[in-house]
Amino acid sequence: MSSKTCLEGETLAAFEAEIEALRREQYADIGARDARHIRRVRGIVQGTAIGGRGLLMFGVGPLSWIAGVLSLATAKILENMEIGHNVMHGQYDWMNDPGFDSRTYDWDIACTGDNWRQSHNIDHHDHTNVVGKDDDFGYGMLRMSEQQKWTPSCLLQPFSYLVLALNFEWGVAVQNLKLGRFFKGRMKMPEFRERMRPFLRKAGRQLFKDYVLFPALAFWQWPRVLLGNLAANLIRNVWTNAIIFCGHFTEEVKTYTRREVAHETRGQWYLRQIQGSSNLEGGRWFHLMTGHLSHQIEHHLFPDLPAPRYVEIAPRVREICARYGIHYNTGGFWKQYAGVLARLVRHAFPTRRGAAMGAA
Amino acid sequence: MYSLASQPRAGARGASRFWRRPLWAPLNDPEAWNRLVRIVNPAWSFTEPRARVIRLVDEAPGVRSIWLKPNGRFGRFSPGQHLMLELEIDGVRQARCFSLSHAPRADRLLRLTIKRKDDGPVSSAAHALKRGQVVRLGRAQGTFAPRDPAAPLLLLAAGSGITPMLSLLHGMAAAGASRDVVLLHGIRSPADAIGTLELQELAARWPRLRVHVQASAVEGRLDPAGIAGLVPDWRERETLLCGPDGFMRQVEAMYAEAGCGALLQSESFGRRAAPVDPDAAAHAVSHGSPEQVFTALAGQSLLDAAEAAGLKPRFGCRRGICRTCTCRKRSGTVTNLLTGLASGPGEELIQLCISSPRSALELAL
Repeated sequence: MSSKTCLEGETLAAFEAEIEALRREQYADIGARDARHIRRVRGIVQGTAIGGRGLLMFGVGPLSWIAGVLSLATAKILENMEIGHNVMHGQYDWMNDPGFDSRTYDWDIACTGDNWRQSHNIDHHDHTNVVGKDDDFGYGMLRMSEQQKWTPSCLLQPFSYLVLALNFEWGVAVQNLKLGRFFKGRMKMPEFRERMRPFLRKAGRQLFKDYVLFPALAFWQWPRVLLGNLAANLIRNVWTNAIIFCGHFTEEVKTYTRREVAHETRGQWYLRQIQGSSNLEGGRWFHLMTGHLSHQIEHHLFPDLPAPRYVEIAPRVREICARYGIHYNTGGFWKQYAGVLARLVRHAFPTRRGAAMGAA
Repeated sequence: MYSLASQPRAGARGASRFWRRPLWAPLNDPEAWNRLVRIVNPAWSFTEPRARVIRLVDEAPGVRSIWLKPNGRFGRFSPGQHLMLELEIDGVRQARCFSLSHAPRADRLLRLTIKRKDDGPVSSAAHALKRGQVVRLGRAQGTFAPRDPAAPLLLLAAGSGITPMLSLLHGMAAAGASRDVVLLHGIRSPADAIGTLELQELAARWPRLRVHVQASAVEGRLDPAGIAGLVPDWRERETLLCGPDGFMRQVEAMYAEAGCGALLQSESFGRRAAPVDPDAAAHAVSHGSPEQVFTALAGQSLLDAAEAAGLKPRFGCRRGICRTCTCRKRSGTVTNLLTGLASGPGEELIQLCISSPRSALELAL
């Protein structure tokens, strides 16, 4: 495991200036092309959703069921990752289009948009990989770093990870409820109830839509639709989980302590974003299906830049990193995901800082 | 719904409310249905007034009339009203207000007559529209019309300020063409005349309509003295005024001096705030949670200041008409740049585009 790169003084300032220059150049260029992209994706989402639900409701035989599931899963994945996540980052606010407004967008997933805007945009994107502040780091249930305390229950984490992956949308949805704080008695009942209400409302709607409304509309075909929707949701959950875990928990991703990030400069913040994230390599459709989270590094540098641009600027970010001796963590999906699983298993057992270094 | 002449029955209202419940999503998502019908015809929509460009007519150098065929959602309008025209400019939806320049017609066509402004992205984009393109519209709004249905009338226009006057004249002509009306139109040179032909036609079948077009290059600028000379009984006429800022201020001063300001109505959405004095007092504007702060100068609109600080609040017309940028002010006082009036100190809704800080502010952006 390579240690963290620390830039100092003039080198740090020059690095910061280069990243800032890239940011200014990209933001000045935003325009019709980006608007066309997000509308086209919305068209694909609507088309695959209608197609998928249609095949599930009116199709006959197992082949149309499989096609329907895949089509609906594609719609859900694209809607969650390329539209929902990116729109709620404000990547398309400049369009002045109420349909892509980061403040009001709500997505086809159990987590409410408002909760996400808090837990993701602030807690995760500002405090990226700061153990204890970034709730995404292990989702409060997984031990992914030697800096987290080991308890015997960590031994179960390969199993609990499997449960999380299958139910990822619910994991994300309850994240901001801070259930742990409530059960430890550190949250009062009224506050807990206040947090629960929007979650329950959204969860009810999601369950009603996929497991009551659409099955009922299919009359005697209802079991087909119900199972198809369940399968599509599971595919979406497993896929988004794998992509998101590849973004921050691969083998070489760095973690930080609160002390390390106190008095951080903008340049150091950029550096942490790069070192705390990892990319995936693949083709155009792969990037789209990950919502361009395959470019987690670029996304963390510029969270509100329209996502397809990450692909374009990636070679330049990589080149800047190479010049400053910063490790640019990238690899194919299976290599990176294997790294995640290895990290997950390794930290299920008691590891200490020194031990971890020795093992790598 | 608004397109129905009578109020819908209570049962229908209840059903519609039931259908709109979030439980039925995504089946009741109007935007999703709109996108589907748009595949068939881009001008169709269940909710949005849209219109197709039917004809483009050059009226004068830099002035073009755009004839639009609206869909059923547009509803009705009355002469003198304006509407928001929304165009997409390099991916950004931008909207501005324009007066309708024709009265309601049997064929339902709308006409906008737009002067191209170099600093106006929407007017430039409107000039670049092609036949067959589809644009978004707002509903017609505004109350610019004579209050008295029969009293003698004076219409004062300069430049493209003629547009609501044309609409009003067509409306009155359709209603009988019997009223005593004087139209004074100030333009720069004779080539800048707008609607000469239709004004001649109107005057031919409307004996009590008098039209005077004055080109400043030939007869000098149309000013208060000139108006008084051309229309000696101006103090007895209900007056409607529309034109560039300087002209409107002159005429408003003239009416105020004579003590007959009550006779005058102005259409003022063409007005821009005066340039901001860079030495004006700066005020801190805090917003959001966790709290962020940007500064705005007295005289500068909060919308401009927020954008200069890198924020992207929603906006529409940028001149106080459409209320897209309305936001909640938690504390502090603002000046309304259109009226010059100060707000209260407490919590209220303000329009960012026409509000300027008088004190430190706290907003819920």
